[in-house]
Formats: sequence, structure tokens, C-alpha cells
Amino acid sequence: MSHSTTERTPTGAAEATAPDRRRPAFNLVDVLERAGLPLFLVVLVVFFLVNSTSAEPFRSAPNVQNLLGNQSVTALVALAMVIPLVAGYFDLSVAAIAGLANVTAASVMATHGQSVTVGILVALVVGVAAGCVNALLVAGLKLNGFIATLGTYTLLGGFLQYYTEGTTILGVPQGFADWGSLKFLGLPRPFWLLMVIAVVIWYVLMHTPFGRKLEAIGSNEGAARLVGISVDRIVGLSFIGSALVASSAGVLLTSRQGGADPTSGPAYLFPALAAVFLGATAIRPGRYNVWGSIFGIFLIAVAINGFTFLGAASWVSSVFNGGALVAAVAISTLMGRARESRARRVLMSTSRDESPPGSAASSVPPVT
Amino acid sequence: MTHVAENAAPAAAGTDPVVAVRSLSKTFAGTRALQGVDIDFRPGEIHALCGGNGSGKSTLIKILCGVYHGDSGGEIRAGGDVIGSDRTTPATAHRAGVRVVHQDLAVFPELTVAENLALASGFETGVGGRIKWREQRKLAQQAIETFHIPARPSTPLTELSLAARTEVAIARALRDHGEGHGGLLILDEPTAALPVHEVASLLASLRRLAARGQSILYVSHRLDEVLDLADRVSVLKDGRLVGTRAAADLDKSGLIELMLGRTVDDALRQEAPAVSGPELLDVDNLAVGALQDVSFSARAGEVVGIAGLMGSGRSSLLRAMFGDLTPRAGSVRFEGRPMDFKHPKDAIAAGVIMVPENRIRDAAFLDQALSMNVSISVIRSYWRRLFMSNGSIAADSDDLVTAYGVKAPSSSVPMGSLSGGNQQKVVMARWLRREPRLLLLDEPTQGVDVGARADIYRIVRQATESGSLAIVVASDFEELAAVADRVLVLRHGRIVAEVTGSDLTAQRLSELSYAND
Repeated sequence: MSHSTTERTPTGAAEATAPDRRRPAFNLVDVLERAGLPLFLVVLVVFFLVNSTSAEPFRSAPNVQNLLGNQSVTALVALAMVIPLVAGYFDLSVAAIAGLANVTAASVMATHGQSVTVGILVALVVGVAAGCVNALLVAGLKLNGFIATLGTYTLLGGFLQYYTEGTTILGVPQGFADWGSLKFLGLPRPFWLLMVIAVVIWYVLMHTPFGRKLEAIGSNEGAARLVGISVDRIVGLSFIGSALVASSAGVLLTSRQGGADPTSGPAYLFPALAAVFLGATAIRPGRYNVWGSIFGIFLIAVAINGFTFLGAASWVSSVFNGGALVAAVAISTLMGRARESRARRVLMSTSRDESPPGSAASSVPPVT
Repeated sequence: MTHVAENAAPAAAGTDPVVAVRSLSKTFAGTRALQGVDIDFRPGEIHALCGGNGSGKSTLIKILCGVYHGDSGGEIRAGGDVIGSDRTTPATAHRAGVRVVHQDLAVFPELTVAENLALASGFETGVGGRIKWREQRKLAQQAIETFHIPARPSTPLTELSLAARTEVAIARALRDHGEGHGGLLILDEPTAALPVHEVASLLASLRRLAARGQSILYVSHRLDEVLDLADRVSVLKDGRLVGTRAAADLDKSGLIELMLGRTVDDALRQEAPAVSGPELLDVDNLAVGALQDVSFSARAGEVVGIAGLMGSGRSSLLRAMFGDLTPRAGSVRFEGRPMDFKHPKDAIAAGVIMVPENRIRDAAFLDQALSMNVSISVIRSYWRRLFMSNGSIAADSDDLVTAYGVKAPSSSVPMGSLSGGNQQKVVMARWLRREPRLLLLDEPTQGVDVGARADIYRIVRQATESGSLAIVVASDFEELAAVADRVLVLRHGRIVAEVTGSDLTAQRLSELSYAND
């Protein structure tokens, strides 16, 4: 960049009140808002550990391994969704892209007898190609992201059925199938993979200019363009990045299943969606974020898992996913309103000499 | 105030006012938006309301329709009712017979005339909620005849002219007033969006309405129209009523004088003549949006004002130079190089910045921290050793908050929690930290109080003194006359005059901008 960042100081603007250099004091409401979801997760875990019916099966090693392993795939799909959502764009096709990568990897390895490396690479490339189509539709042709990706989601789901003729692909190399069930430092490898990818996404979103620009677009797309951000390019890239993460979820699914089932990828849509919305109520309240989404995933998973041990039937999972979705939207909207009215009170008490601003910030992330 | 309210020849002498406003004041968070306003609206009178931006026109209208409460102490009288000015609600306004047609009309273009009329009053329904279309058409036909609307009940509004759509909106607003019944019809800038040839037809229909005894409050920036149509004119300035005059006693320059008053804001007045540096900008036959054949050049160190009414092409001019609009024709050279920016980012890289007119929509990131808002323009420079340096962002932002006089507890508060003037200072700080060569400022003091206005122009002047060029668009001609070295007047997309030196007064700018051609 050619510009310098030295500040030009207007000597005239004198009667400025010096800003209070102290960082905001400890605020209990704020902390509870941020930590509400993780705290609730801890409470649930403790409850199932203490309850005499669920304690034994809940804490058994196979259950813990399964929970962490299975949810890693869901969490990766959810993280894929977070990336364009930061810019205010829905990508509903991520679950189908995970399915596409799932079937592609299995097909290349089992049906076409290629090596594991080739299988993984082809799956990622095919997934990213699907992401490029999304980018073209949404950032290039400016179609509504929600509708366009709902379209590609359905289309890919149909294509997978056609390609596999509705049957499961089995017979991937044993070493690859075992990878997803093995442990590293006491935790399942898929969980480690999830953590690595989550850290990378968190880094990109929070600590690169790309991520900061993405958030600016999510806040006000028109203003983002007028501060020189190439909105189309960055939104397009977010869809491609999202597809890459979704494809890795698909490859992991291939390893977990030892093959591919055309219906299992697309089925991740709603659990991932619920977790992402729940995630927006915590850690960085009012914004879609990485760690909140991961807590959201495990909150729902632990609840379903624990209540199953307490005798709940299989319908419990739908009830929980649906309930979580509604609760998440309700909580973030209500918290947003509370934050807004707090901000308005502060404004009214500090400004004596000016009319109120046009509108207070909306705290539920805007979605295009 | 030099002008005292005086009662002019009444349009319908001897009758009681339909609606009367007494000692109406309104305070917003410490600012007086209205102060002791008294106005009578007489039956059958077309009463125009004039005043510049921020004069209190829209506040008065909003109190009349009950959207706002006034401060206590005043009254609104309608018929036999006296409503305390702090107790106005939409319901009391409606009972008092006040009806409003806003500039955007709020009609449904896809629906028919009958449906548009029925949507407000409720459909006539029969058994099982069935709409009685026959009844509905009959009612619509009556309205069409009363208001001379050139349509049938089944005509969709898309097939009507804008003037006729306005008439439908008026018919809808007055639907529950009987023939010749009192009440006050408020029309907010009804001709602003109309093509010239439709204005006459709308004005004729307003005259017919008034002749039948309807009293009308007419708000418009078009002074010729006001003088032509209105019986009396009330002028507001800085929330006070400057006076109510018979339109017949006024001419345009008299009206402009009333609107501007005689006070010039000395705080803004620039004493020293501009340093004329080398030529920086050369605009040659530019055509974009409403603009045609616009040519001018400007030097480093200048503050060039652009005067013009809304729709004169003033914003298009800035947006074209910023790469936000693509010109149809012509060229712009900046520092000798052609400015053919495809995207605002190219302009920014070349040292050009723009503060857009609509801050909320185009400049502010309301849900983001002040620090993000002020650093987004240089965000790359904070990416150090592969991480965003949030510490430096916060420290630099706090410094800028101090330097630009932003009133905020810290730079970590959300932008949306600041008042309009402080938000605007943040937007200025965002750009000026880049030390731009060309500043394009579109209404930089919109919604900003007087003190902050002076601050903002001091910041601008400081930039030009160090060799930049500023182009300022402002609707407030007093302000423009005070801060600019010279002003180009835009009318209907063309530069019609350049005003400098002792000619540079708000009066002159208003005359040139409002002139007919």
C-alpha cells in the first residue's frame, strides 16, 4: 500500500473530550451473554454425568469417542456455512457439497481403484468446483444467496442419487477407513482435524484483512464498496472457501463411513444450520462465529445423546434441532433488542446537543 | 429575528381556522427543533410551508400528524377541540381531521384504483368475508369523479401518470371526509418526483380541492410553484416561524430572504483567500446520470462548492469521480492522469476519497465498533506479522477520537451508539487519515450540529491548506457560501454559473439554483 498511516491532526477541533482510556469495566451481563452457551453445555454434561441412569453409558469411552468423532463432520459443515454468513450470505449448499465430496472420494478410491491421495484431491477439487458455481451465481450474477444455494443444494442431492443409483459405495482402502476411528493423544483424530480447521478459519476471519473485509460487507455492503472493498471478489472467495471446508467434511465422512451414502451428506444441513444460529448467541454475540458454532454443535449433540440414554426415542433429535433453531433466533433477537436499548440510553445521556442518529445498530446479523 | 409575523390578507376572511397551532415547541435531546410556532390554517386555504434543511418543517408536520409529541405548553386546536401539544397521537390528529400524503405516496402500483382506495378504508365485505366488489367499484367511481382522476376503478395504478397516482393518494387520504368537509390535508413535496408536464395537472386539482373548501398545507422546495399556488406562505428558520405572508405580497427573492434570514454563520466564514496551487483536477464534458457537458477545473488548496437542488446531478458528479458511477461521456484528469476508475478502490488508491450523502446507508458500519469504522480504510496496514494488530487499531482509534473531537466513551463502542454528528466525524477521520489529495464531500454536515459543523470544515480547510483539493456539495447555501472559495451552480444537470468573491452569498446561490429556464 502506498499510503501512510500517520495521522493528520486537526489542531482546530480543540474542545474534544479526551476518550476514556480505560477498557470497559467487567460487565456481568456481557460475560453471561458471551459465555451462556458454553456454560449451558457444561451444565448439561454435568447433569448427564450425575444422573444415575445416564451416567454409566454417557461417560463410557465408546460413547465419548463416537460423539466427538461423529460431530466433527457436522461441525465442519457448520463452519463451512459460517464463512459466507459473516458477509451476510447464506450458503445452504454446503451439506450437499459435503455429500458430493463424500461420494467422489469413495467413488475414486473404491469404484475407480485410485490411491487415497488421488481420492482426497479429486474430492476437494470437485467440491471447490461446486463452490465456484455458487460464487458465480451469487457474487457474479447477484442472485439471492439463500435461494440460489437452496437450488444448488437440491440439484446436487439429486445428482448424487443419480450417480450412485441410490446405493451405498463401499470398499475404500482399509487404512483410510480406519483413520477416522483412530485416536491421537486420547481424542479421536476427526476431532483434531476439526480443531485444526477451526483454528485456521478463526485466523482467516479474525486476523486477516480478508476476514475483516468480510465482516465489513456483512455489516453494510454498500458502505463496504465505498471504502474500496471489492465486494464481489471477496463474497465469491467466501463461497469457494466455504466449499473447500465442506469438501473436507465430505472426505472425513468417507473415512468415518468407510464409503459413501448419497443421502448422508445432504442430511447435515439442518443440524449445521441450528448450530450456526445457536453459535451467533455466544462468544461474539450477534455475529456468526467459529467457536460459538462449535459449542452449538456439541450442545445439541450432548443433549440428544444424553436424553437418548434417559429413554427418549429417536424423535428427540428432530425436536432438539428444531427447538435449538427457534431458541437461537429468539435469544439473539431478544439480546439484540436489549443491547440496542442499552445503547440508546447511553446515547441519550451523553449527547446533549444533537438529534438522535437515524437508527440504532441492528444486532442480528443481516442476511442477504 | 428581523421579521415579525404579521397577519396577511386572509383567503377566507372571518372564518375560524380549521386547525391552529399555538406556541408549539419541540426539543430533541437538547436541540430546539421548533420554538414557539403559531400558525392558523383557514378553510379553503392553500397554505405553503417553506424553509431550508433543518428549519423544522418535517418536525412540524410530524407533530401535526401525531407521529411526534411536542413539548408541553403548546396547543393544537381543531374545531372545538384543544389538544395539548405533548399529547398528540395519530388518533388525535386523525380526529382533528389532519390527513397526510407523503412524498412516496404509499400507493400500490400493481393494484387497481378501487383496491388502492379500499386498502385504507377497509373492504366492504359480505357474508363469509366476501369482498363486495360492486360496492367497492361504486365507491371508487365516486372518488374518481370527486377528484377528477383520469381512470376507471379497474385501472391499475401502473397505467396512471404520477400526478394521477398522487390524486389517488389524496382521494384515499380524504376518503372519510364528506364533500367540502373541513380538516387539513398535508402534502409533503408532492411535485418533487413529478415530470414538469404533470405538475400543472396536479396543481389544478389542488386548486379545485381548495375551491371546495378543503384546507391544504403544502410543503415544497419549488418556490415558483409555492408562490403560484399558495394563498399564504409560512416560513420556518432554525425552528422559529419567521413569518406568515400572503403569497401575493411576496416575490421569489423576498421569499428567499425570509428563508435565509439575515444572519450568516460567522463561525464558518473563511477569511483568507485560498492559496492557488497547481491545477489538480480537470473535468471535460462529463456526462453521467443527470449531468450533461460538465466542464471545470480546480487547483490544489481550493475548496470548490457545488450548489444545486436535489436531482440537479450534484451527487452523480462526485460519484462519477470516485469510480462509483461510470460516465457516459467526457473525461476527468487528476494530476494530469486520466481518472477512469472502475471501482472506488481505484480512486482511493489514487488519493481520492468520498464522504457520501447518506451516512447510514453508504458510510457507517453501525453494528461495528468505532475503531473498525475508522480503520477500515487502512485495514491492510494493521496486518502485521500475519496478525491483525488490534492493539494498534485501538490506540490509533483513540487518538483519532481525540483529534477529531468525537464524543465517545472509547473507540470500542459500536458506531450505532454515537449521535449523527459524531458518526460523521468518524467518517471524516476514516478518510483524512489517508491524507487524500482530492476530497469529495457530499453533504458532509448533514444532521450535524453547529459546533461540529465548524469542526468538520476546519478539518477540510486544514487538508486543503496542505495542498489537497476539496469539492463540497451542500444544500445549505449559507454554509456553502461561507466555506467555499468558489461555487459552481448546477441546474438540470448543467453548470449554469460560477460564483466567487463578493457575489458568493446564499441569496445569489439560491436565486441561481431556483431559477427557471
